[in-house]
Amino acid sequence: RGAWPRVAMEASELWVGFVGAGRMAGGLVRGLLQAGKVPASNVLASAPSDKNLDAWRELGCRTTHCNLEVVHRSTLVFLATKPHILPGVLEEIRPAVGSHHIVVSLVAGVTIQTLQRLLPPWTKVLRIMPNLPCVVQAGAMVFSRGTNAGDGEAALLQSLLSSCGLCEEVPESYIDIHTGLSGSGVAYVYLFAEALAEGAVKMGMPGALASRIAAQTLLGAAKMLLETGEHPAKLRGDVCTPGGTTIYALHQLEKGALRATVMDAVEAATNRACDMAKN
Amino acid sequence: MSVGFIGAGQLAFALARGFTAAGVLAAHKITASSPDTDLPTVSGLRKMGVNFTVSNKDTVKSSDVLFLAVKPPIIPFILEEVGPDIEPRHIVVSCAAGVTISSIEKKLSTFCPTPKVIRCMTNTPVIVREGATVYATGTHADVEDGKLLEQLMASVGFCTEVEEDLIDAVTGLSGSGPAYAFTALDALADGGVKMGLPRRLAVRLGAQALLGAAKMLLESEQHPGQLKDNVCSPGGATIHALHFLESGGFRSLLINAVEASCIRTRELQHLADQEEISPAAIKKTLLDKVKMESPSLSVASASKVSLFTSKSKKN
Repeated sequence: RGAWPRVAMEASELWVGFVGAGRMAGGLVRGLLQAGKVPASNVLASAPSDKNLDAWRELGCRTTHCNLEVVHRSTLVFLATKPHILPGVLEEIRPAVGSHHIVVSLVAGVTIQTLQRLLPPWTKVLRIMPNLPCVVQAGAMVFSRGTNAGDGEAALLQSLLSSCGLCEEVPESYIDIHTGLSGSGVAYVYLFAEALAEGAVKMGMPGALASRIAAQTLLGAAKMLLETGEHPAKLRGDVCTPGGTTIYALHQLEKGALRATVMDAVEAATNRACDMAKN
Repeated sequence: MSVGFIGAGQLAFALARGFTAAGVLAAHKITASSPDTDLPTVSGLRKMGVNFTVSNKDTVKSSDVLFLAVKPPIIPFILEEVGPDIEPRHIVVSCAAGVTISSIEKKLSTFCPTPKVIRCMTNTPVIVREGATVYATGTHADVEDGKLLEQLMASVGFCTEVEEDLIDAVTGLSGSGPAYAFTALDALADGGVKMGLPRRLAVRLGAQALLGAAKMLLESEQHPGQLKDNVCSPGGATIHALHFLESGGFRSLLINAVEASCIRTRELQHLADQEEISPAAIKKTLLDKVKMESPSLSVASASKVSLFTSKSKKN
């Protein structure tokens, strides 16, 4: 075991496995393949049925129904099962996990402590929380390291997953917060987009057009935030001409205590993530 | 240069105190007048060394810059009374909320062809030389006249020129603003007391916190949102508190307040332009004193006085 060099592997040499082939895993692999990080032929995914695996084969990945095979044939193993399935899967693959493996869990609510308890003590474990837009390579992901995961593993993961969007290492305590902010946060944005469009429809614009414009507005505003690096309050002020339309609208939003409501939402989702992790 | 105040109430007192403290004007170069000698501010002005008189006409005669420091409904009486004594050299500065330059100019033009009128909106912290003042110059006021006023008012705080149509908004924001701050400070102190602080200390600390924050903002290039963020450590005390403020619609309450004050100012101006205000709305004693000083004001005309010109304003 000590003979394996502790260096980040070249992408072409990397054998990547996915235990579980659902939407999140699919999003990640698409990102990796699009960015040319890993050739599809180096990717092996397992799932109980063919339902999800068809899409993977279409991408050029190899598939199997056998989780152990994934572990045997991969160095980087992503765990992407539903939370209640995971303990059984870990029990199953445990005998095949070696010190050369890098195990990365995408499973919501399962702590590093739990993972390390159910895997051999030498295992390099990392935990990642992605979000849905990884599917279109505009994701926001945070990850944390387990006891045996070192700088090399963290750097490898970061390098690979930056192909799917923003990827940052964080203390594990931030992962539930990330769920509240960005994992669930995507849904808040959808809600907001829907409401914007409805407002426009009320004022006489056709729905389809309103929806496209709403989405583009959010995209554009987010892009400006990311690219200018300015404080959102400053960007907001820049849009508000004195006595103009924007300040009138913002006043309505403040009257509705939108800010507090959003803070409440992030708090609720974060607390729920914490509670679910405990169970 | 000598300065006169028609009116010897809070505003005259605050400005006189500020000017003398700033050393921009000696007290004996200031005159203030009011028919009502019982006002607490009158004795304050006297103590300062300001010349006090019951004769508005005397104030006008001994001043170059004449502040109209009376409540808006009184302005027309004053203009009627002192109009004949206004000379081309005078700079008439009205501090009355909602009273337009054109209404003053119209009234004075019956006495003086080219009256120099400046309209100004200031606030009470001029008393501690941290006032917020804006001014708009009238038709016959020169650039130098505006600059002269600006110099005076800059000695007691911030002063800048604006277009007249912004003055109502300024009233809503910085005119009324100190009242919002006093309310906030009272409540903050209550919060401190609730959590165990002695009242005096709570008031002192609350005031210093707002003073310091305001100073930081004025001296910083940063947006207040950024400055707020700088205070909020993740998961800390401040962000928990801010969440409460947001839940209560704190921001919208402040927006509402500024809007309400501005709208009310406009309403009052509108009322002034439109209606004839019965002298019953003004204290009888005050009216009697004004009549005593100005026999020219006939009893007949005093019974129903149009606030401004007899030509009704078109709406």
